[in-house]
Amino acid sequence: MASSCYITFPTTFFAIRAESILKKQPYAFKMVPVPRIISSSCGTALRCGCEDLASIKEYLLQHDLELEGFYKLEEEGLKTPIVVPLDLNGGGSG
Amino acid sequence: MSNNFNLYFDNAATSWPKPEAVYGAAEIQMREASGNPGRSGHTRTLESDRLIYRTRETLGRLFNIPDPSRVVFAYNATDALNIGLKGFLEQGTHVLFTAMEHNSVLRPLQRLRREGLITSTMIPCFSDGYPDLEYLESAYQPNTSLLVVNHGSNVTGSVAPLDKIAESAHNRGVKVLVDAAQTAGVISIDVQKEGIDMLAFTGHKGLLGPTGTGGLYVAPGIDLKPLREGGTGSQSESDTHPQSMPERLEAGTLNSAGLAGLLEGVKFILEQTIENICQVEEELRRYLIDSLLEIKGLKIYNPETEAGRSVAVVSFTVDGADCGEIGYILESTYGVLCRTGLHCAPLAHQAIGTFPEGTVRLSPGFFTNKKDIDFLAKALKEIVQLASG
Repeated sequence: MASSCYITFPTTFFAIRAESILKKQPYAFKMVPVPRIISSSCGTALRCGCEDLASIKEYLLQHDLELEGFYKLEEEGLKTPIVVPLDLNGGGSG
Repeated sequence: MSNNFNLYFDNAATSWPKPEAVYGAAEIQMREASGNPGRSGHTRTLESDRLIYRTRETLGRLFNIPDPSRVVFAYNATDALNIGLKGFLEQGTHVLFTAMEHNSVLRPLQRLRREGLITSTMIPCFSDGYPDLEYLESAYQPNTSLLVVNHGSNVTGSVAPLDKIAESAHNRGVKVLVDAAQTAGVISIDVQKEGIDMLAFTGHKGLLGPTGTGGLYVAPGIDLKPLREGGTGSQSESDTHPQSMPERLEAGTLNSAGLAGLLEGVKFILEQTIENICQVEEELRRYLIDSLLEIKGLKIYNPETEAGRSVAVVSFTVDGADCGEIGYILESTYGVLCRTGLHCAPLAHQAIGTFPEGTVRLSPGFFTNKKDIDFLAKALKEIVQLASG
């Protein structure tokens, strides 16, 4: 079972701004449609390795981005993934 | 541009030609990208989202706006001014505006006045189009909340001294809304340095983009009431329009093909540098005015040629001749395109003494060459001789 992490955004503007800001940083990430199992205000999410999540979050907050939610998805083929909402308040890695 | 086309001296109405990349980008956006920005999440949508973000960011580079979320897109400068005026002004407030304002400011203010929401005072301008700054100092009232200023006149080309005006307004806690329809893309605008609280611009004039594009910069700390609400592609479950910028002031699908063209127009300006464009247009203005000054019987309004004080917009009248007739002869006999009449700025014409007849307005652009001006001057000389004969 593979796992990956997601950051969701309140609006498209913040999603694209996040991509633009992170492009110059050494993180591996991808902008993807929000998985149906996650509820989000904006249809585009940022998918990254869970080991980078806390650091990416901090970096985006330093650049005044508004972020909505943080999730870990356990994925196995086409089966519905298991979602773990993460509480990253206080800068923890969840 | 003196090929098979007419000689184009109407860049103040809309710039022509555009840089080649502007045409191509608008077409590519429709043919190949064309996802609805903000809506679906697939790759074409994402490409459109990125294009719109880059356009905000690139305009931010041109106007020194560090946060691209403060750049809101509109149909044109008129639309942007409506968003700014109607979103900012609250009941019982007082507004200052200059006599050079376009109907895009005068008419929304008139509606707000008629509805009893606001009061206003006009700052008179001199016959060359520059505002009376002494009068301004005496015009503030305790409830004055906004000063609207036309940056570059579409009648005389005069450029208002923004730094002095903004300083005066800010000293009294009054915000400044700048109409940059004639200046964006042709003279340097730095919203931070010049103390601009809101900047309305159009995409199809100096910014060299397509019609149907424009926008409003809104400084941090100013929360405008949205003029329109609706779909933004985000927070769809909520019946309340998103509050965060820029979506707060945008609703419905954006003009992505137009914005693709606008992005290329602004990139062209940044590549050429605004200083170079300004210098080229100033030289054209000076050359045009010098050529016109040689024609006896022709009166130029604001023959000012001091660097940075005017944009390349020149108005003139001919003794005893109807300006509409001059415009007609210019096109029908000589193939020269210009604009005659009141230019949607009746108070400006009152200020310079040309109301209600108006003027003939010539507005060269970055791609105009001096040979075109020579031809135009020769044509005008013949027309004036005809009129005086």
